[in-house]
Amino acid sequence: MVLNECASRLGVSLRQTEDQLTRDMLAATASFINCLGGINGDNPTEITRADVDGVVRELLNNNAYTIMDNIEGENKFGTAPVRDAYFALCSTKLTGNLDAVGGFIHKNQYPAPMNALRSEWGAIGNLRFLVSSIGSVVPNSSALMADVYNIFCVGMEAFAAIEQDGYSAQFIYRPPIYDGPLALNASVGYKFAEVPRITNDLWVINLRSTLV
Amino acid sequence: MADNTIIQQGLFTSTGVNKTIVLRSDVDWMMTWNLTTIAGATQWDSIRHYWQRELPFGDHVIDYHAAATQAVSTTTGVAGFNGVANRPGFYLIDSSTVNSTPGAAVAVAAGTNATQPVYSTANTSPLAAGAIVRVTTATHNNINGLDFTVDTIVANTSFRLANTLATAPGGVAGAGFWRYIAPDVATYNMFYPSKRVIANITAANPAVVTTLVDHGYTTGQVVRIMVPAACGMTQMNGLLGTVTNLTAATFSINIDSTLFTAFNFPLPAAVPFTPAEVIPVGDGNAVLTGATVNQGYLGIVLASAGAVSGSPAGVNNDVIKWVAGKSFNTFLP
Repeated sequence: MVLNECASRLGVSLRQTEDQLTRDMLAATASFINCLGGINGDNPTEITRADVDGVVRELLNNNAYTIMDNIEGENKFGTAPVRDAYFALCSTKLTGNLDAVGGFIHKNQYPAPMNALRSEWGAIGNLRFLVSSIGSVVPNSSALMADVYNIFCVGMEAFAAIEQDGYSAQFIYRPPIYDGPLALNASVGYKFAEVPRITNDLWVINLRSTLV
Repeated sequence: MADNTIIQQGLFTSTGVNKTIVLRSDVDWMMTWNLTTIAGATQWDSIRHYWQRELPFGDHVIDYHAAATQAVSTTTGVAGFNGVANRPGFYLIDSSTVNSTPGAAVAVAAGTNATQPVYSTANTSPLAAGAIVRVTTATHNNINGLDFTVDTIVANTSFRLANTLATAPGGVAGAGFWRYIAPDVATYNMFYPSKRVIANITAANPAVVTTLVDHGYTTGQVVRIMVPAACGMTQMNGLLGTVTNLTAATFSINIDSTLFTAFNFPLPAAVPFTPAEVIPVGDGNAVLTGATVNQGYLGIVLASAGAVSGSPAGVNNDVIKWVAGKSFNTFLP
């Protein structure tokens, strides 16, 4: 029972560590575009529809494939069709700002909300936003010393986590008998050897923004 | 402290600049002995420095000679001695979080309008040549929030942005702040090679690129140059080039930019803008140098106050012994 719970928690930790490494790699190596369309007087500004359209145009010009298919419109009140889309990976702290962007469709307004991912917040144009509490933030790095939020806009197969030496992750269990003569403590853990890597630099753009 | 809590120890000869010690695991305390000053009995020489986690970032406990004898007095780095406060000490570095935890805002009085602006400040600790800072002032809003390598540090007086901008910021900077970002390029980004903001591109064959933060690239790596309209030289935008490493701040690429529009660093009136940037994309030679490498580490920067004793990295030619350890348990109020 305890071992099952530990294994479950370690699994979450493993994937979250993977996410953090990928996040830091993208923050360090992906090209960026500052949001410029806002009115908060900062550099970058808050995110606007013009900024979303700009980054989508850039990805389209670079021949990046969208990741998600469109969601066809249906005859339901308050819903709207959703375009085929690139993913935009960002912090949960941006959700209020996303709500205010022109053309934002919250996932509960999708014609088929079951097509939305659990971490998805909504869509603007050809971007579908996935939010996370560990989204990329660079503190005090705007012109006015505000926090800057990185929004990684990615096309299909723009980056990958590459397993090293033929193995991905290993779950390790050492029973109590290895702990000492009294066999009091067992050990469980994991190790993994993989590296995140951009596969085509033209298919991922970091859209940097501040808050309103 | 039981001896068996020591995780690592070592010895080095000071070069009069900050010394970064990369540690093999997490650390709770560290101590240095200056074997050179211990052997002497010179007034105001420090002999031992101690740090543990509960101390403020950069602080330490100092044992020093208050007189020209072997008698020892004790103080803290913040309180200082011989009339000098804020003696720089130990700086714990976790490079996986270094960009997410910038140092505290330190007041800047003014900045010059030059292609290598000089900022005056009453506190330069823990800056050393090669360190990376972020400056925010009232006037230089075109470079506010960007990171820069610094050089020419005059202790508790001023520092200079090391890498030459294409054009001066456009005015004399008023009051503002600077923040300590990283001690060096290796710590600046956990992943190598990483993108850089461009300070200048020459119109020449081959074009020479200067970056705000030292680039760390090696000859043979392939980069893409991104130049938005605000920076001029838009003919360069999106071009791929192979790097020839020239200096820490500059490299040439196999692109003839002789007939391109001149590059300029945007003036304050251009804010908001996206700066020009260089993106490493691959290798052009047989040796794979451009792979994304996680170069993260945990360590301690031992500060040096240059020619002045009182910091753990000592002065030039001092022999320093150090030990770092881990506590079995930590009791906090």
